[in-house]
Amino acid sequence: MGVILEVKNLTKKFGGLTAVNDFSFEIKRGEFVGLIGPNGAGKTTVFNLISGFEKPNSGSIRFDGMDITGLKPYQIVNLGLVRTFQLVRSFHYMSVLDNVSVACLSPRGKKASEKVGLDKYASRILSEVGLIDKARFPPVILPHGDLRRLEIGKAAGTNPQILLLDEPFSGLSYEEQEHIHALIRRLSNEGVTIFITGHVLRELMNLVPRVIAMHQGKFITDGSPQEVANHKLVLEAYLGRGGGIA
Amino acid sequence: MIFQIENVLIFGTVQGSVLALLALGFSLVFGVGGVLNLGHGAFYLITCYVFYLIWRVLFFDLIISIILSLIIAIIVGGVVYLALIKPLQDSHIGIVIVTFAFAVFMQEFVKVIAGIKPHYISPFIFGSVEFLGVTFPIQFVFVIIGSLILVFLVGLFISKTKIGKSIRAVSQDREAALLMGINADRILMITVMISAFLAGMAAILYAPTSAITIDMGWSFLLSAFAVSVFGGMGSTSGCVLGAFIMGYAKTFCSVFISPTLATVFPLLVIVVMLLVRPQGLLGKKEV
Amino acid sequence: MPKKIRSKVSNTVSGTKNFFLGIPRATRNLYKEIPHQVKSFKEWIFTFRGSLTILCLIGTILVPLITMDDYIMTILISFLVFSIFAASWDLLAGYTGQVSFGHSVFFGIGAYVAAAFVKMAGLPWFFSMIIGAVAAILVGLIIGIPCLRLKGPYLALGTQAFSLILFNLFMSGELKDILGSTEGISALPAMSEAHIVTFFFILIIMVISFIILTIIVKSNIGTIFKAIRDDETAADASGINTTKYKLIAFMISGFFAGIAGGLFALNSRAVNPSVFLALYSFYAIVMVALGGIATISGSVVGAFIYWVILTELFKPMGALGTIFLYFPTLISALILIIMIRFADQGILKPALEHIREFYDFLLGR
Repeated sequence: MGVILEVKNLTKKFGGLTAVNDFSFEIKRGEFVGLIGPNGAGKTTVFNLISGFEKPNSGSIRFDGMDITGLKPYQIVNLGLVRTFQLVRSFHYMSVLDNVSVACLSPRGKKASEKVGLDKYASRILSEVGLIDKARFPPVILPHGDLRRLEIGKAAGTNPQILLLDEPFSGLSYEEQEHIHALIRRLSNEGVTIFITGHVLRELMNLVPRVIAMHQGKFITDGSPQEVANHKLVLEAYLGRGGGIA
Repeated sequence: MIFQIENVLIFGTVQGSVLALLALGFSLVFGVGGVLNLGHGAFYLITCYVFYLIWRVLFFDLIISIILSLIIAIIVGGVVYLALIKPLQDSHIGIVIVTFAFAVFMQEFVKVIAGIKPHYISPFIFGSVEFLGVTFPIQFVFVIIGSLILVFLVGLFISKTKIGKSIRAVSQDREAALLMGINADRILMITVMISAFLAGMAAILYAPTSAITIDMGWSFLLSAFAVSVFGGMGSTSGCVLGAFIMGYAKTFCSVFISPTLATVFPLLVIVVMLLVRPQGLLGKKEV
Repeated sequence: MPKKIRSKVSNTVSGTKNFFLGIPRATRNLYKEIPHQVKSFKEWIFTFRGSLTILCLIGTILVPLITMDDYIMTILISFLVFSIFAASWDLLAGYTGQVSFGHSVFFGIGAYVAAAFVKMAGLPWFFSMIIGAVAAILVGLIIGIPCLRLKGPYLALGTQAFSLILFNLFMSGELKDILGSTEGISALPAMSEAHIVTFFFILIIMVISFIILTIIVKSNIGTIFKAIRDDETAADASGINTTKYKLIAFMISGFFAGIAGGLFALNSRAVNPSVFLALYSFYAIVMVALGGIATISGSVVGAFIYWVILTELFKPMGALGTIFLYFPTLISALILIIMIRFADQGILKPALEHIREFYDFLLGR
């Protein structure tokens, strides 16, 4: 079980604001890790930095032993590191099936889909995420929960080694959350390393065996959900300084 | 050689003055509405022909002709805003296409009315002046002085008046301005009308120095775009600075290198600036 | 800064190299798809759209054959040539989302290069046309690379700047010996002795172009184009090298616009700098908008409306005064404004719906 993702001293400044400050962590292959922190802690910025949508001011990101700092997003995806967006981004005027097909047409996706054929492969992914009945629909008419699943389906289409899920539960009903839970678990069991963010502790606690906590761009702690939940600084971050245990 | 540099100085100032007027309006509209108005060159074009019609064909008094032409330019600006820009505000590409169609429409319209032959508007006062050993028509004096006054007035208007402050507010942060109770639509309309007015002024001052032709709108549009990109989209001071640099550089090219290069110079500037420094000289907004 | 530019240049160079190295494999993949395409073509003929298309095609073949009228052929030829041009714009703007207002550049380069090779080198027209189209591809690369960074309206104005640059260069008196200045290149040999043969050459080229363009937009590469149009960031996040595919779109589009330009010059047997004017880009846009954006077949409808219906409507009035000859452009500019404002679907789709109902009715469905 080697290290698949290694982030070292990552720093990102926007003007005077330091969004991510000297942030370091490691994720091993096949792990299932959560990144928590209150709103505005810098979780999405960390994802943007790792996936190449923003360039860090300093620090390095190594994926699978390779330095990927400063690579373009598609290059990083083609190495097997894929992210989803908190605000779902779909291709509005294309069918749901074609949405996934695009991902399957990226170099990694192509290699994986070559044997079965593109359409079959994309349909298989759609049935895995539970959208096969809606394959011909345009995404604009789908409810929010379905769009989240499509987002994961699109990421899965590129055949990732590690999947970065940005707040996949936000704004979903309990039932829809359960669907996504099951979907993510299945992907994890298939051997995909998963790194997931959330700002509500409870959502992630039952899902992941290991949590990294951050606050105001800084690393706080790293450990099992129980350890993290009882960590003094985490409680302070969530409840304010001097706040008691809820 | 020295004599030629003086040439560059004077003709460059004239070019710069015209470009400043054109680019200022174009850049303001972009700053306020995020809109690239491809009909900007058409404002220039129609004012030229309307001015020609009123002054040279209908023989109105010069001052009255100027005022009437400017009023028409401002009305056209308002119509363009209400009919084309406002309904399509969500789609930037839609605006670009309809304003492009508007420019083509105006060009063809003028073609139908006035024919494809070039026309000549005579200068306000015939005669020439000698300055620094260079002889040039009096009209150039009007161009330079008129443009400097206008640029100054626009600057004053934006920094001092209530509407001007609203214009600045909307161009800095549209959402916040809306929350402050500023009617951003009305501000954009006023800005488009100001830009039409400035383009019209440029036409009235500069068109008498040479022939007017039906296809000149495009090169003025692209010059305005070039200056705006050069100075930074939406930045007024950058715009004026850019206009004069461009004016001198263009004239320099024309005198010392080749007239063809001078005509394509603004276009090359667009390409190079977009490649190297998309936010322009003084601009902050990323393209 | 220099280092940044250097890395940019080296990226672009390596990207271009990879692209050209990729051509053989892409061709092979396209070849593999042919049996599949033939089968779906057979099915397609019997669908509503297919039969309608075949019907229109038969009409276009028969009318000149029956009438043998030179005038009708002239009209139909400009319709055919400009439908290719419109379709090439549709591929770039409608499918890939790269709205270019400088499409006349490709058209003009195709026209000039084809004319030059026929005139100066005495090459057969077909090869000259292909050389012209390849030149347009190269220009597509040259324009595409700097313009790829631009989005939306900036791309539109940036590309238009290129068309004006070329117009001024070709107009220039200083470069008269090389580029011909205002006179351009004239007195080209005719494409063939009989007008009707020329007509069928052009028709065949047009049909082949449309088949290729349709295959492209229906293929995987078309899916990627549409993804870039819908959300470039999401396409990037799905592992698509958007720069590469946008460049490919520029090149394919440039190729077909170059073909159209070459045919235009060869058929009118002359070319002058006006082919670079914004007006020609406008033709492409208006035809596509008329027929419906992102429907390759819509370009044919749009071109038909512009070059056959509108132009011919006002031609008789040309006798009353030359001003009526400018009316088609004037009116189409108005139509374009109205289309964009109120009916961005174009008229092909809604019209087809109505005709389809009638067709179903005829077949008793």
